[in-house]
Amino acid sequence: MAAYFQLFFRETKVAIKRWTDVLTGIILFFLIAILFPLISDSNKDFLLSIVGPIMMFSAFFASLLSMQNMFKPDFQNGTIEQLMLSKKSFVGLVFTKTFSFWVFTSLPLIVVSGFIASIYFVTGKDILIVQLTMFLSTLTMVNINAFTAAITLGIRYPGALMTLIITPITLPILIFGSKAIENSILGLDISGPLYFLTGMMMLSLFIGPWITASALKISMD
Amino acid sequence: MNLKAIYKYGSPPNFYRFVTKVEPWCLYFGLLLILIGSAGGLFMAPEDYQMGDAFRIIYFHVPSAYLSMSAYATMGFASIIGIVWRSNVAFSVAKSVAPFGALMTATALVTGMLWGKPMWGTAWVWDARLTSEFILLLLYLGYITLHASIKEQKRADRAASLVAILGIINLPIIHYSVVWWNTLHQASTISKLDSPSIVGEMLWPLLVMIFGYMFFFVAVICRASSAEVLVREKRSNWVKEI
Repeated sequence: MAAYFQLFFRETKVAIKRWTDVLTGIILFFLIAILFPLISDSNKDFLLSIVGPIMMFSAFFASLLSMQNMFKPDFQNGTIEQLMLSKKSFVGLVFTKTFSFWVFTSLPLIVVSGFIASIYFVTGKDILIVQLTMFLSTLTMVNINAFTAAITLGIRYPGALMTLIITPITLPILIFGSKAIENSILGLDISGPLYFLTGMMMLSLFIGPWITASALKISMD
Repeated sequence: MNLKAIYKYGSPPNFYRFVTKVEPWCLYFGLLLILIGSAGGLFMAPEDYQMGDAFRIIYFHVPSAYLSMSAYATMGFASIIGIVWRSNVAFSVAKSVAPFGALMTATALVTGMLWGKPMWGTAWVWDARLTSEFILLLLYLGYITLHASIKEQKRADRAASLVAILGIINLPIIHYSVVWWNTLHQASTISKLDSPSIVGEMLWPLLVMIFGYMFFFVAVICRASSAEVLVREKRSNWVKEI
């Protein structure tokens, strides 16, 4: 267990050193969400009808931008190789790494999303639902992103390829995430989409680290 | 399941011999069926009472849509075998299925759009089946580009196979999440086996076309994968003997 905590602390230090990486995602998320009312229409009903898709959309793009640095620096300086050689379970280490990445890139987004929801005129309990949806969907997305980042490690310019692999896999989460927010604002039953998102989150937490670890092993040899 | 078959045809020379023997039969039989089916579909089947002659595109649209999905299943299955048994043959099958599957998906999309334009008034609607077919095309393209962009053969095989397997897990999820929208596409007409909502004269060319496409598909896979196996094994003795 101590090794996992140690890895987490190391990731914390790295994140503090590379604070621009962390900030880029948040700024992008913020800008996409702010730009939409400015360039389309800022009346209340319209904004309330698009807030769900906008949230998911900007979270998706923010994660796309930040994920390129998920394994790349550590792959280049040999940290990943050392982790692979250690006696501890590599899957567990990969899980720790993915989780800490989520803590530093997506947790801020969840905090910010409450603020953004309020400037889209979302009120009261719905803000919490927005944050809950963001929590569930980013935790799923980070696992998908980890897999994709791992599988494209050896490629020099992986940008377009990553998008191509990620988009179909992430699509259900985007659909159900925006559905949950939309239903909550309309006052409908939100349990369906939330159950689905939770299920996807559990599934991704379960198979994500395994498949990411094997992808890293493939990229390594 | 009989594992012996996997071991036997997992060896490249056996696979090559088997495949080259099967290929011509499938090819000619498939072409024959496609000829019969098109003749039956284009000339013999009666006009649809609503769509007139335009419905005849169904004889090309439905088989390619069928194949686009079963090709993905084949690719995923071959990838699983390849990952589990580290089988070069399975990887080459998976690799050779991908372009054909992508082509079939594109054909299904294009014929669907051509059909939709006169019937629905628009070429594209955001309908469940169209969208999931499009997503399927993205999955194929992801597999193909990933395979192409990794230089080293083995790494490319295994990485792309992981993506294909993840796609197999995800495909039903994607499909059912997309189905949440209201569907404009007509419900499938021939899966209801006991009371098909299509008359027999229209149905038989369709079935013939589907089987023709399938046999043709098998033949294409045989040809492509045998070529792929030959390329991969070009240094071994049995290839030099051929």
